[in-house]
Amino acid sequence: MTGQLTLRGEFVDLRPLAFADAAITCRWRNSTRSSLLSRSAAECEAQAAWIASRPASEFNFILELKDGRPVGMLSLVNIDQTHRRAEPGRFLIGDEAAVRGIPAAVEAMKLLYELAFDRLGLLRIFGTIAADNNRMIKWQKYLGMREEGRLRQHYLVGNGTFQDAIVLGLLADEYRAVALPRMQALITAGRSAAPARHNEAKAMTC
Amino acid sequence: MLTEIEIQGIILRALENVNEELDADSKVAVGADTCLFGSDAALDSLSLVSVIVDVETEVSTAAGRQISLTDDRAMSREVSPFSDVHALTAYIAALLAETV
Repeated sequence: MTGQLTLRGEFVDLRPLAFADAAITCRWRNSTRSSLLSRSAAECEAQAAWIASRPASEFNFILELKDGRPVGMLSLVNIDQTHRRAEPGRFLIGDEAAVRGIPAAVEAMKLLYELAFDRLGLLRIFGTIAADNNRMIKWQKYLGMREEGRLRQHYLVGNGTFQDAIVLGLLADEYRAVALPRMQALITAGRSAAPARHNEAKAMTC
Repeated sequence: MLTEIEIQGIILRALENVNEELDADSKVAVGADTCLFGSDAALDSLSLVSVIVDVETEVSTAAGRQISLTDDRAMSREVSPFSDVHALTAYIAALLAETV
């Protein structure tokens, strides 16, 4: 298995996280917005070392707009081909202003789910989200994930407190019946509501 | 039957809910003219989903019937229901005006 894979979408591409992304991902991870995520490398040197130490069995991606701007990160980790499951995670939109009006996050998630379910043939993906991260929980549930449990005081979050984690899971048939149509609908909404900006982005890549 | 003013109020409350989750420098201007999704839009797709979920829930409860804002019909409209608050209000009003 290789983590060096680029997934191409209509609005965003997912390209492999590289050593050179240490500075920008460090900045994103330590922004105020990330206070609900688990703690990460505070220094860029540590972030670079973390990137360099990623095993080839993980898929760690940078979200790029079609004009090449990096706007976030997303991973597929703990891939278990025996039990046919994996964990999406490290999902962060670092440049919120750049993705307003664009279905960047939803298309990134769609590309990752296609990798997990269609290319790797997995049957289940699962993950945890800090209990106070309401927007992300709402988002994941809308896209088909089901709440499977609660891990008490599971995360030390950015503000120095411990928080419960919500466990969410999605099965392959739920992906096809619920997640995929809803993701496609949101992408269509972005396409029909943003013809000018989308065409501009396409033109810049032609 | 919900009035357009009541529907708009539900949408504006959903936008206020989004703002509660955002940093001070990322908050969206909430008003009837707020562009939701697309060119010059206020929301990214995470926030748009938050609005969709809140509006679907509150409108369905108030109207006593389930509505869906992301079915094929919504997506095939010439003017996207998510272009701005006015468009979403008009789309929901049209949905509710239909006989079940």
